[in-house]
Amino acid sequence: MSDTGNIINKISSYMPRLGLSALILCLASGIVLVFYYRPMGNVFQNVEEITTLVPYGWFFRQLHYGSGQLFTILMLLHTLDHFLRKRYRIYLFKEWVLLIFSLCLCFFVLFTGFVLKGDKEGFFAGQIFMNILEAIPFIGGSVSKLFIVPGDSFFFLPYLYHCFFLPILIIYLIRDHIREWFPNQRFLLIGTAGLFLYAIFVRPAIDIPPEASVAMIQGPWFFLGVQTLLKFLPVLLAGLIIPGLFVGCLLILPVIKTDSPTRDHRGRIAYVGENGLHYLLVVALCFYGFLTLRAAIWGP
Amino acid sequence: MERRGFIKKGLSWLAYIFGAAALAYPVFLFMSFRKIRKKTVVFHPDEQLAAANFKEGVYLIRKGAAFNALSARCTHLGCTLNFDAVSQQFKCPCHGSLFAISGKWVSGPARKDLMSIPVETEANGDMEVEFEI
Repeated sequence: MSDTGNIINKISSYMPRLGLSALILCLASGIVLVFYYRPMGNVFQNVEEITTLVPYGWFFRQLHYGSGQLFTILMLLHTLDHFLRKRYRIYLFKEWVLLIFSLCLCFFVLFTGFVLKGDKEGFFAGQIFMNILEAIPFIGGSVSKLFIVPGDSFFFLPYLYHCFFLPILIIYLIRDHIREWFPNQRFLLIGTAGLFLYAIFVRPAIDIPPEASVAMIQGPWFFLGVQTLLKFLPVLLAGLIIPGLFVGCLLILPVIKTDSPTRDHRGRIAYVGENGLHYLLVVALCFYGFLTLRAAIWGP
Repeated sequence: MERRGFIKKGLSWLAYIFGAAALAYPVFLFMSFRKIRKKTVVFHPDEQLAAANFKEGVYLIRKGAAFNALSARCTHLGCTLNFDAVSQQFKCPCHGSLFAISGKWVSGPARKDLMSIPVETEANGDMEVEFEI
Protein backbone atom coordinates (compact mmCIF):
# COMPACT_ATOMS: atom_id res chain seq x y z
CA MET A 1 0.00 0.00 0.00
CA SER A 2 1.24 3.52 -0.77
CA ASP A 3 2.40 5.94 1.94
CA THR A 4 -0.68 8.12 1.41
CA GLY A 5 -2.94 5.09 1.80
CA ASN A 6 -1.16 4.13 5.01
CA ILE A 7 -1.57 7.64 6.45
CA ILE A 8 -5.28 7.70 5.55
CA ASN A 9 -5.78 4.28 7.17
CA LYS A 10 -3.96 5.42 10.30
CA ILE A 11 -6.08 8.60 10.57
CA SER A 12 -9.21 6.46 10.00
CA SER A 13 -8.32 4.22 12.90
CA TYR A 14 -7.33 7.12 15.20
CA MET A 15 -10.59 9.07 14.76
CA PRO A 16 -12.98 6.70 16.57
CA ARG A 17 -10.46 6.09 19.39
CA LEU A 18 -10.03 9.78 19.99
CA GLY A 19 -13.82 10.16 19.67
CA LEU A 20 -14.40 7.60 22.42
CA SER A 21 -12.04 9.52 24.72
CA ALA A 22 -14.04 12.69 23.98
CA LEU A 23 -17.29 10.83 24.73
CA ILE A 24 -15.99 9.71 28.13
CA LEU A 25 -14.92 13.29 29.00
CA CYS A 26 -18.25 14.64 27.75
CA LEU A 27 -20.25 12.23 29.94
CA ALA A 28 -18.03 12.92 32.98
CA SER A 29 -18.26 16.73 32.65
CA GLY A 30 -22.01 16.43 31.99
CA ILE A 31 -22.47 14.54 35.27
CA VAL A 32 -20.66 17.40 37.09
CA LEU A 33 -22.82 20.08 35.41
CA VAL A 34 -26.08 18.30 36.28
CA PHE A 35 -25.47 19.15 39.96
CA TYR A 36 -26.00 22.87 39.35
CA TYR A 37 -27.96 23.18 36.09
CA ARG A 38 -31.73 23.58 36.48
CA PRO A 39 -34.04 23.51 33.41
CA MET A 40 -36.83 25.49 35.12
CA GLY A 41 -37.08 29.15 36.10
CA ASN A 42 -34.48 31.57 34.80
CA VAL A 43 -32.29 29.17 32.82
CA PHE A 44 -30.10 31.93 31.36
CA GLN A 45 -29.21 33.19 34.83
CA ASN A 46 -28.48 29.62 35.95
CA VAL A 47 -26.05 29.11 33.03
CA GLU A 48 -24.41 32.48 33.71
CA GLU A 49 -23.96 31.47 37.36
CA ILE A 50 -22.28 28.24 36.25
CA THR A 51 -19.95 30.23 34.00
CA THR A 52 -19.10 33.09 36.38
CA LEU A 53 -19.98 32.17 39.98
CA VAL A 54 -19.65 28.42 40.60
CA PRO A 55 -16.01 27.37 41.24
CA TYR A 56 -14.54 25.92 38.00
CA GLY A 57 -17.98 26.15 36.38
CA TRP A 58 -16.48 27.88 33.32
CA PHE A 59 -14.02 25.00 32.97
CA PHE A 60 -16.59 22.20 33.16
CA ARG A 61 -18.98 24.02 30.83
CA GLN A 62 -16.28 24.56 28.22
CA LEU A 63 -14.95 21.00 28.65
CA HIS A 64 -18.47 19.60 28.15
CA TYR A 65 -19.04 21.78 25.09
CA GLY A 66 -15.64 21.01 23.55
CA SER A 67 -15.77 17.25 24.16
CA GLY A 68 -19.35 16.98 22.85
CA GLN A 69 -18.44 18.89 19.69
CA LEU A 70 -15.25 16.87 19.20
CA PHE A 71 -17.04 13.55 19.62
CA THR A 72 -19.75 14.43 17.09
CA ILE A 73 -17.32 15.94 14.58
CA LEU A 74 -15.08 12.85 14.79
CA MET A 75 -18.10 10.58 14.36
CA LEU A 76 -19.17 12.63 11.34
CA LEU A 77 -15.67 12.38 9.83
CA HIS A 78 -15.57 8.64 10.61
CA THR A 79 -18.90 8.17 8.77
CA LEU A 80 -17.75 10.40 5.89
CA ASP A 81 -14.59 8.34 5.60
CA HIS A 82 -16.66 5.15 5.32
CA PHE A 83 -19.04 6.81 2.88
CA LEU A 84 -16.40 8.31 0.56
CA ARG A 85 -14.38 5.08 0.44
CA LYS A 86 -17.61 3.09 -0.06
CA ARG A 87 -16.90 1.07 3.05
CA TYR A 88 -20.64 0.91 3.82
CA ARG A 89 -20.42 -2.20 1.63
CA ILE A 90 -18.96 -4.18 4.52
CA TYR A 91 -21.98 -3.47 6.72
CA LEU A 92 -25.29 -5.23 6.91
CA PHE A 93 -28.21 -2.92 6.15
CA LYS A 94 -29.48 -3.05 9.75
CA GLU A 95 -26.02 -2.23 11.15
CA TRP A 96 -25.55 0.74 8.77
CA VAL A 97 -29.04 2.08 9.62
CA LEU A 98 -28.30 1.93 13.36
CA LEU A 99 -24.97 3.75 12.92
CA ILE A 100 -26.41 6.54 10.74
CA PHE A 101 -29.34 6.87 13.13
CA SER A 102 -26.97 7.19 16.11
CA LEU A 103 -24.97 9.86 14.25
CA CYS A 104 -28.25 11.80 13.72
CA LEU A 105 -28.97 11.41 17.43
CA CYS A 106 -25.49 12.79 18.26
CA PHE A 107 -26.40 15.94 16.31
CA PHE A 108 -29.72 16.08 18.14
CA VAL A 109 -27.85 15.94 21.47
CA LEU A 110 -25.69 18.89 20.31
CA PHE A 111 -28.85 20.72 19.29
CA THR A 112 -30.58 20.18 22.65
CA GLY A 113 -27.37 21.36 24.33
CA PHE A 114 -27.54 24.53 22.21
CA VAL A 115 -31.16 25.07 23.34
CA LEU A 116 -30.27 24.44 26.99
CA LYS A 117 -27.91 27.45 27.06
CA GLY A 118 -31.14 29.32 27.76
CA ASP A 119 -29.97 32.46 25.96
CA LYS A 120 -31.69 34.16 23.04
CA GLU A 121 -30.04 31.87 20.44
CA GLY A 122 -31.00 28.75 22.38
CA PHE A 123 -34.58 29.90 22.93
CA PHE A 124 -35.06 30.81 19.26
CA ALA A 125 -33.51 27.50 18.13
CA GLY A 126 -36.05 25.69 20.32
CA GLN A 127 -38.92 27.81 18.95
CA ILE A 128 -37.87 27.14 15.35
CA PHE A 129 -37.56 23.40 15.97
CA MET A 130 -41.01 23.34 17.59
CA ASN A 131 -42.58 25.24 14.69
CA ILE A 132 -40.90 23.02 12.08
CA LEU A 133 -42.40 19.94 13.76
CA GLU A 134 -45.80 21.67 13.93
CA ALA A 135 -45.67 22.05 10.14
CA ILE A 136 -46.07 18.26 9.73
CA PRO A 137 -49.61 17.75 8.38
CA PHE A 138 -52.26 16.35 10.79
CA ILE A 139 -49.95 15.12 13.59
CA GLY A 140 -47.45 18.00 13.79
CA GLY A 141 -49.04 19.68 16.81
CA SER A 142 -48.95 16.46 18.86
CA VAL A 143 -45.48 15.37 17.68
CA SER A 144 -43.90 18.72 18.59
CA LYS A 145 -45.20 18.36 22.17
CA LEU A 146 -43.17 15.16 22.55
CA PHE A 147 -39.98 17.22 22.21
CA ILE A 148 -40.62 20.77 23.37
CA VAL A 149 -43.53 22.77 24.79
CA PRO A 150 -43.98 26.54 25.11
CA GLY A 151 -44.29 28.17 28.52
CA ASP A 152 -42.49 27.70 31.85
CA SER A 153 -41.28 24.19 31.09
CA PHE A 154 -39.80 25.11 27.70
CA PHE A 155 -36.36 23.69 28.58
CA PHE A 156 -37.55 20.66 30.54
CA LEU A 157 -38.10 18.16 27.68
CA PRO A 158 -34.87 19.14 25.82
CA TYR A 159 -33.13 18.63 29.19
CA LEU A 160 -34.58 15.13 29.57
CA TYR A 161 -33.52 14.25 26.02
CA HIS A 162 -30.05 15.78 26.43
CA CYS A 163 -29.21 14.23 29.80
CA PHE A 164 -31.03 10.92 29.81
CA PHE A 165 -32.90 9.56 26.77
CA LEU A 166 -30.40 10.37 24.02
CA PRO A 167 -27.08 9.44 25.70
CA ILE A 168 -28.57 6.11 26.83
CA LEU A 169 -30.04 5.44 23.38
CA ILE A 170 -26.80 6.35 21.56
CA ILE A 171 -24.67 4.12 23.79
CA TYR A 172 -27.20 1.30 23.35
CA LEU A 173 -27.16 1.65 19.53
CA ILE A 174 -23.38 1.73 19.16
CA ARG A 175 -22.70 -0.97 21.77
CA ASP A 176 -21.84 -3.68 19.21
CA HIS A 177 -19.89 -1.29 16.98
CA ILE A 178 -17.36 -0.33 19.65
CA ARG A 179 -14.72 -3.00 20.03
CA GLU A 180 -13.02 -1.66 23.17
CA TRP A 181 -15.09 0.42 25.55
CA PHE A 182 -12.09 1.68 27.47
CA PRO A 183 -10.01 3.64 24.96
CA ASN A 184 -6.30 3.11 24.51
CA GLN A 185 -4.50 5.04 27.27
CA ARG A 186 -2.46 7.02 24.72
CA PHE A 187 -5.63 8.36 23.05
CA LEU A 188 -7.30 9.04 26.37
CA LEU A 189 -4.26 11.02 27.50
CA ILE A 190 -3.99 13.01 24.23
CA GLY A 191 -7.75 13.68 24.17
CA THR A 192 -7.84 14.74 27.83
CA ALA A 193 -4.78 16.99 27.49
CA GLY A 194 -6.12 18.64 24.32
CA LEU A 195 -9.61 19.21 25.71
CA PHE A 196 -8.30 20.48 29.07
CA LEU A 197 -6.12 23.01 27.21
CA TYR A 198 -9.13 23.99 25.11
CA ALA A 199 -11.33 24.43 28.21
CA ILE A 200 -8.67 26.51 29.98
CA PHE A 201 -7.56 28.78 27.13
CA VAL A 202 -10.60 29.15 24.87
CA ARG A 203 -13.24 31.49 26.24
CA PRO A 204 -16.88 30.43 25.79
CA ALA A 205 -18.90 32.43 23.24
CA ILE A 206 -20.85 35.34 24.71
CA ASP A 207 -24.41 34.34 25.60
CA ILE A 208 -27.09 36.78 24.44
CA PRO A 209 -29.61 37.62 27.20
CA PRO A 210 -33.17 36.55 26.25
CA GLU A 211 -34.48 40.12 26.56
CA ALA A 212 -31.73 41.65 24.37
CA SER A 213 -32.58 42.89 20.90
CA VAL A 214 -30.16 41.68 18.22
CA ALA A 215 -30.32 42.21 14.48
CA MET A 216 -29.43 38.65 13.48
CA ILE A 217 -29.54 35.28 15.22
CA GLN A 218 -27.57 32.24 14.08
CA GLY A 219 -28.38 28.63 14.87
CA PRO A 220 -25.78 25.94 15.70
CA TRP A 221 -23.09 25.51 13.00
CA PHE A 222 -24.53 22.25 11.64
CA PHE A 223 -27.97 23.84 11.09
CA LEU A 224 -26.73 27.02 9.37
CA GLY A 225 -27.43 25.42 5.98
CA VAL A 226 -30.99 24.52 7.04
CA GLN A 227 -31.44 28.06 8.42
CA THR A 228 -30.50 29.44 4.98
CA LEU A 229 -32.83 27.01 3.20
CA LEU A 230 -35.68 28.05 5.53
CA LYS A 231 -35.34 31.58 4.23
CA PHE A 232 -36.13 30.56 0.66
CA LEU A 233 -38.14 27.32 0.80
CA PRO A 234 -41.37 26.25 2.55
CA VAL A 235 -40.87 25.10 6.16
CA LEU A 236 -41.80 21.45 5.60
CA LEU A 237 -39.53 21.12 2.57
CA ALA A 238 -36.48 22.88 4.02
CA GLY A 239 -36.80 21.65 7.59
CA LEU A 240 -37.88 18.04 7.17
CA ILE A 241 -38.26 16.70 3.61
CA ILE A 242 -34.82 17.70 2.24
CA PRO A 243 -32.83 16.57 5.33
CA GLY A 244 -35.00 13.41 5.51
CA LEU A 245 -34.38 12.61 1.83
CA PHE A 246 -30.63 13.03 2.30
CA VAL A 247 -30.56 10.67 5.30
CA GLY A 248 -32.91 8.24 3.49
CA CYS A 249 -30.61 8.07 0.44
CA LEU A 250 -27.60 7.52 2.73
CA LEU A 251 -29.41 4.68 4.48
CA ILE A 252 -30.25 2.71 1.33
CA LEU A 253 -26.66 2.69 0.00
CA PRO A 254 -25.80 -0.79 1.36
CA VAL A 255 -29.00 -2.20 -0.20
CA ILE A 256 -27.93 -1.37 -3.76
CA LYS A 257 -24.22 -2.07 -3.29
CA THR A 258 -22.39 -3.86 -6.09
CA ASP A 259 -18.93 -5.36 -5.85
CA SER A 260 -18.13 -5.12 -9.54
CA PRO A 261 -19.97 -4.16 -12.71
CA THR A 262 -21.28 -7.49 -13.95
CA ARG A 263 -22.08 -7.98 -17.57
CA ASP A 264 -25.75 -8.74 -17.16
CA HIS A 265 -28.42 -6.07 -17.34
CA ARG A 266 -29.33 -6.18 -13.61
CA GLY A 267 -25.71 -5.89 -12.51
CA ARG A 268 -25.15 -2.83 -14.67
CA ILE A 269 -28.30 -1.13 -13.36
CA ALA A 270 -27.20 -1.77 -9.76
CA TYR A 271 -23.70 -0.46 -10.54
CA VAL A 272 -25.04 2.73 -12.12
CA GLY A 273 -27.61 3.11 -9.31
CA GLU A 274 -25.07 2.81 -6.52
CA ASN A 275 -22.53 5.13 -8.13
CA GLY A 276 -25.21 7.61 -9.18
CA LEU A 277 -26.61 7.79 -5.66
CA HIS A 278 -23.11 7.98 -4.16
CA TYR A 279 -22.09 10.96 -6.32
CA LEU A 280 -25.48 12.62 -5.86
CA LEU A 281 -24.92 12.50 -2.09
CA VAL A 282 -21.38 13.87 -2.52
CA VAL A 283 -22.80 16.82 -4.51
CA ALA A 284 -25.53 17.36 -1.87
CA LEU A 285 -22.91 17.32 0.90
CA CYS A 286 -20.74 19.85 -0.98
CA PHE A 287 -23.78 22.09 -1.52
CA TYR A 288 -24.70 21.88 2.17
CA GLY A 289 -21.11 22.68 3.09
CA PHE A 290 -21.24 25.72 0.79
CA LEU A 291 -24.53 26.91 2.38
CA THR A 292 -23.03 26.48 5.86
CA LEU A 293 -19.88 28.38 4.95
CA ARG A 294 -21.89 31.14 3.28
CA ALA A 295 -24.11 31.50 6.36
CA ALA A 296 -21.09 31.48 8.70
CA ILE A 297 -19.39 34.29 6.76
CA TRP A 298 -22.25 36.50 5.54
CA GLY A 299 -25.07 35.35 7.82
CA PRO A 300 -27.97 33.02 6.98
CA MET B 1 -46.82 -21.23 1.73
CA GLU B 2 -50.23 -22.87 2.01
CA ARG B 3 -53.32 -20.71 2.01
CA ARG B 4 -54.20 -21.69 5.58
CA GLY B 5 -50.68 -20.89 6.81
CA PHE B 6 -50.70 -17.57 4.98
CA ILE B 7 -54.03 -16.54 6.52
CA LYS B 8 -52.84 -17.64 9.98
CA LYS B 9 -49.64 -15.61 9.67
CA GLY B 10 -51.54 -12.59 8.32
CA LEU B 11 -54.03 -12.70 11.18
CA SER B 12 -51.29 -12.97 13.81
CA TRP B 13 -49.52 -9.93 12.27
CA LEU B 14 -52.79 -8.00 12.28
CA ALA B 15 -53.26 -8.90 15.96
CA TYR B 16 -49.71 -7.65 16.72
CA ILE B 17 -50.31 -4.37 14.87
CA PHE B 18 -53.66 -3.72 16.57
CA GLY B 19 -52.22 -4.67 19.96
CA ALA B 20 -49.26 -2.31 19.52
CA ALA B 21 -51.54 0.49 18.30
CA ALA B 22 -53.93 -0.03 21.24
CA LEU B 23 -50.98 0.36 23.62
CA ALA B 24 -49.25 3.19 21.77
CA TYR B 25 -52.35 5.37 21.26
CA PRO B 26 -53.03 6.21 24.95
CA VAL B 27 -49.27 6.63 25.57
CA PHE B 28 -49.01 9.08 22.65
CA LEU B 29 -52.11 11.02 23.78
CA PHE B 30 -50.77 11.23 27.34
CA MET B 31 -47.32 12.39 26.28
CA SER B 32 -48.54 14.97 23.78
CA PHE B 33 -51.27 16.51 25.96
CA ARG B 34 -50.74 20.08 27.14
CA LYS B 35 -53.25 22.30 28.90
CA ILE B 36 -53.89 25.56 27.05
CA ARG B 37 -52.59 28.36 29.22
CA LYS B 38 -53.41 32.04 29.01
CA LYS B 39 -50.97 34.81 29.70
CA THR B 40 -51.87 38.36 30.68
CA VAL B 41 -49.52 41.26 29.97
CA VAL B 42 -50.23 44.65 31.56
CA PHE B 43 -48.84 47.86 30.05
CA HIS B 44 -48.78 50.60 32.70
CA PRO B 45 -49.26 54.23 31.51
CA ASP B 46 -45.49 54.85 31.50
CA GLU B 47 -45.06 51.80 29.22
CA GLN B 48 -47.43 53.14 26.54
CA LEU B 49 -45.48 56.18 25.39
CA ALA B 50 -43.58 54.92 22.31
CA ALA B 51 -45.07 54.10 18.90
CA ALA B 52 -44.39 50.39 19.54
CA ASN B 53 -44.02 49.24 23.17
CA PHE B 54 -42.64 45.75 23.77
CA LYS B 55 -43.36 43.62 26.83
CA GLU B 56 -43.25 39.83 27.35
CA GLY B 57 -43.89 38.83 23.74
CA VAL B 58 -46.43 41.54 22.89
CA TYR B 59 -46.16 44.86 21.02
CA LEU B 60 -48.61 47.57 22.09
CA ILE B 61 -48.97 49.91 19.12
CA ARG B 62 -49.92 53.51 19.72
CA LYS B 63 -51.71 55.44 16.95
CA GLY B 64 -52.60 58.83 18.41
CA ALA B 65 -55.05 58.05 21.21
CA ALA B 66 -55.89 54.57 19.86
CA PHE B 67 -54.07 51.36 20.79
CA ASN B 68 -53.86 47.90 19.35
CA ALA B 69 -51.72 44.90 20.33
CA LEU B 70 -49.76 42.52 18.12
CA SER B 71 -48.07 39.25 18.96
CA ALA B 72 -44.28 39.64 18.69
CA ARG B 73 -43.98 36.06 17.36
CA CYS B 74 -42.93 35.84 13.74
CA THR B 75 -45.58 33.90 11.80
CA HIS B 76 -42.84 31.95 10.00
CA LEU B 77 -41.11 30.01 12.80
CA GLY B 78 -41.89 31.84 16.02
CA CYS B 79 -38.81 34.05 16.64
CA THR B 80 -39.45 37.28 18.54
CA LEU B 81 -39.54 40.29 16.20
CA ASN B 82 -37.48 43.48 16.61
CA PHE B 83 -39.06 46.87 15.94
CA ASP B 84 -37.08 49.28 13.80
CA ALA B 85 -38.17 52.81 14.78
CA VAL B 86 -36.60 54.35 11.63
CA SER B 87 -38.41 52.23 9.02
CA GLN B 88 -41.41 51.68 11.37
CA GLN B 89 -41.27 47.97 10.59
CA PHE B 90 -40.90 44.72 12.50
CA LYS B 91 -37.96 42.53 11.48
CA CYS B 92 -37.34 38.86 12.26
CA PRO B 93 -33.72 38.24 13.39
CA CYS B 94 -33.83 34.55 12.34
CA HIS B 95 -34.95 34.51 8.68
CA GLY B 96 -35.40 38.20 7.84
CA SER B 97 -39.19 38.52 7.42
CA LEU B 98 -40.52 42.11 7.51
CA PHE B 99 -43.88 43.35 8.80
CA ALA B 100 -45.48 46.80 8.75
CA ILE B 101 -46.38 48.52 12.05
CA SER B 102 -50.00 47.50 11.36
CA GLY B 103 -48.91 43.84 11.48
CA LYS B 104 -49.23 43.29 7.73
CA TRP B 105 -46.63 41.00 6.13
CA VAL B 106 -44.25 42.96 3.86
CA SER B 107 -41.55 40.50 2.73
CA GLY B 108 -39.61 37.37 3.65
CA PRO B 109 -40.63 33.75 4.20
CA ALA B 110 -43.41 34.41 6.80
CA ARG B 111 -46.27 35.16 4.33
CA LYS B 112 -48.90 35.63 7.09
CA ASP B 113 -49.76 38.83 8.99
CA LEU B 114 -48.96 39.14 12.69
CA MET B 115 -51.60 37.94 15.16
CA SER B 116 -53.71 40.80 16.50
CA ILE B 117 -54.64 40.62 20.21
CA PRO B 118 -57.59 42.45 21.83
CA VAL B 119 -56.65 45.23 24.29
CA GLU B 120 -58.67 46.13 27.38
CA THR B 121 -58.31 49.51 29.07
CA GLU B 122 -58.52 49.59 32.85
CA ALA B 123 -59.84 52.51 34.92
CA ASN B 124 -56.31 53.36 36.15
CA GLY B 125 -55.02 53.70 32.57
CA ASP B 126 -53.40 50.24 32.37
CA MET B 127 -53.73 48.36 29.09
CA GLU B 128 -54.35 44.63 29.55
CA VAL B 129 -53.59 42.07 26.86
CA GLU B 130 -54.52 38.39 27.22
CA PHE B 131 -53.42 35.62 24.84
CA GLU B 132 -52.90 31.86 24.67
CA ILE B 133 -49.42 30.38 24.94
